[in-house]
Amino acid sequence: MTSNATRLRAQFASGDMVIAPGAYDGITARLVEQAGFPAIYMTGAGTAATIGFPDYGLVTMSEMAENAERITRAVKVPVIADADTGYGNELNVVRTVREYERRGVAALHLEDQGFPKRCGHLDDKEIVPREDWLAKIRAAASARTNPDFTIIARTDARAKMGFDEAVTRANLALAAGADMAFVEAPQTMEEVANVPKLVRGPCLLNVVYGGKTPEIDLRDAQKMGYRLAIVPGLLFKTVMASCDDALAALKKEHRHPVPGRPMTVQQAFARVGANDWDPMRTAFREPTAKAAE
Amino acid sequence: MRLGQAIPERPGTTLRRLIREAAPLIVPGCYNAMSARVLEAAGFPAIYMSGYGASLSLLGLPDAGLQTLTETAMNARYIAGAVKVPVIADADTGFGNAINVVRTVEEYIRSGLAGMHLEDQVAPKRCGHVAGREVVDRTEAIGKMRAAHATRQALDPEFVLIARTDSRGAHGGSLDEAIWRANALLDAGADLAFVEGPKDMAEIERVCREVTGPVFYNMTGISPRMDREQMKKLGIAVAILPGVSMRASIIAMYDLAVAIRDKGPMAEAEFNRKLKDHPLGNTHEFAGFDRIRELEESFLPPETAQKYEGTLGHMPKKAAE
Repeated sequence: MTSNATRLRAQFASGDMVIAPGAYDGITARLVEQAGFPAIYMTGAGTAATIGFPDYGLVTMSEMAENAERITRAVKVPVIADADTGYGNELNVVRTVREYERRGVAALHLEDQGFPKRCGHLDDKEIVPREDWLAKIRAAASARTNPDFTIIARTDARAKMGFDEAVTRANLALAAGADMAFVEAPQTMEEVANVPKLVRGPCLLNVVYGGKTPEIDLRDAQKMGYRLAIVPGLLFKTVMASCDDALAALKKEHRHPVPGRPMTVQQAFARVGANDWDPMRTAFREPTAKAAE
Repeated sequence: MRLGQAIPERPGTTLRRLIREAAPLIVPGCYNAMSARVLEAAGFPAIYMSGYGASLSLLGLPDAGLQTLTETAMNARYIAGAVKVPVIADADTGFGNAINVVRTVEEYIRSGLAGMHLEDQVAPKRCGHVAGREVVDRTEAIGKMRAAHATRQALDPEFVLIARTDSRGAHGGSLDEAIWRANALLDAGADLAFVEGPKDMAEIERVCREVTGPVFYNMTGISPRMDREQMKKLGIAVAILPGVSMRASIIAMYDLAVAIRDKGPMAEAEFNRKLKDHPLGNTHEFAGFDRIRELEESFLPPETAQKYEGTLGHMPKKAAE
């Protein structure tokens, strides 16, 4: 059977840029898959939020790996997961890659922030020296058991050290064994366009609404040469807004509001796999037991 | 074994009383729920959870900061839930910065622990008796203890905080720096000070003389060994022997395995014969099946007791017996 890591590699090699919307649990992962996207991105910010924390490096590697497993179990498409700093030094990176791989993740990204990290679109991020980060990239590349598992090198250097340093770091990481480069938070459209020109390898674009990077049509991103676009916050923020609306309606109307659009209980369960499980509810019963029912 | 049996007070309250009364309180280290129960059965009034042992037993990995807060807190929760005596747990660096410390204290209190020690090594840490350690600067170390203290005050003021400094043996460190830090961390809210890795008696004497609060001593690795009387004379409040159950079980398991390998399967029977009169020689009794039967008699219909009649194997005692 072809692994999801191998399938994701094939997607990167094909003509179209892969678009991976962000999911943070079994429901959002299934919705992304059902909408027809070829891959899913597990957002660290969303995972932290499901546990009840902001994205301030409070979530442990154990919790991230558990959530990744929940997501890979819920869907068939490849999952690309946020691995923050690798949760420590290069030894922790080795453990992180092994845990993620064992839980069916197809790709992860590792960043050059200090541990514990902060969200890439917040200020006052700390950046580690080049060599500390490159050691982590080398450690990650050697720790994977499936050579098709994709290591994405994320640099947060743009904010404090400038665009040139970010591009230099991306190229160094590719030379150190990363498969793809992720320059976090370029600040102008020119910078967005220059990343794939200056970086000597496949590039990831992080599409964040209201972040440091200008908004972009994803067709333009593909033309610029990006191979993967992640959209981490789309569902996380949409869910919060629609929950707020539904809760406000309940308070105001004193009755169950129509949930976004009308949906029966069965319809809701069908979205999370009821159709796969229904036949099994009777399939393993003795024929006599079935007759007696 | 707990299993539905209450403890009379907050574990931190018990531990504080023990520390006041014992001087020194000798606390052997466990690494999982079973080893904690062995130490409790031997009569120790408090138990220590070794981070080294937790990492090795849970993950099969050395104590190099590879285990996560989730894993360590889970192990601590199993241990605290298995014994009636208070448990002090290794909390390493608090698994990150001061903000992670807040989460660590919260998770540890919720896990039912009596106290923890927090150290000033750079995260991820390494064993305090292995070379190549680095410490964070004074300001960061103090900030982390202040975070721990504020969290403890908010959630469980009886929870005991032990400030560990690794600056004696760390890169660029000294005993002067370690004593300075121990006192600063006591000022920041710690209840006891733990200078890791003094290398001779003269150093321990200085620590006990110059540290302004109760001293917590880690009798392991490169640090000198001493008996209870010597500790009392020095004024040590608590002494842990973290590797006790880990080393005893590694060696005992290895020896038995080698005997079976070399002498064949009957070596196990020979080993079991020697245990006949051992206080914990009856494993089923130690495991606690009597308590299960007691609970069955209390809460299951009387006819379920019939299942014991005419059956083979270890027979748990009836509650009345």
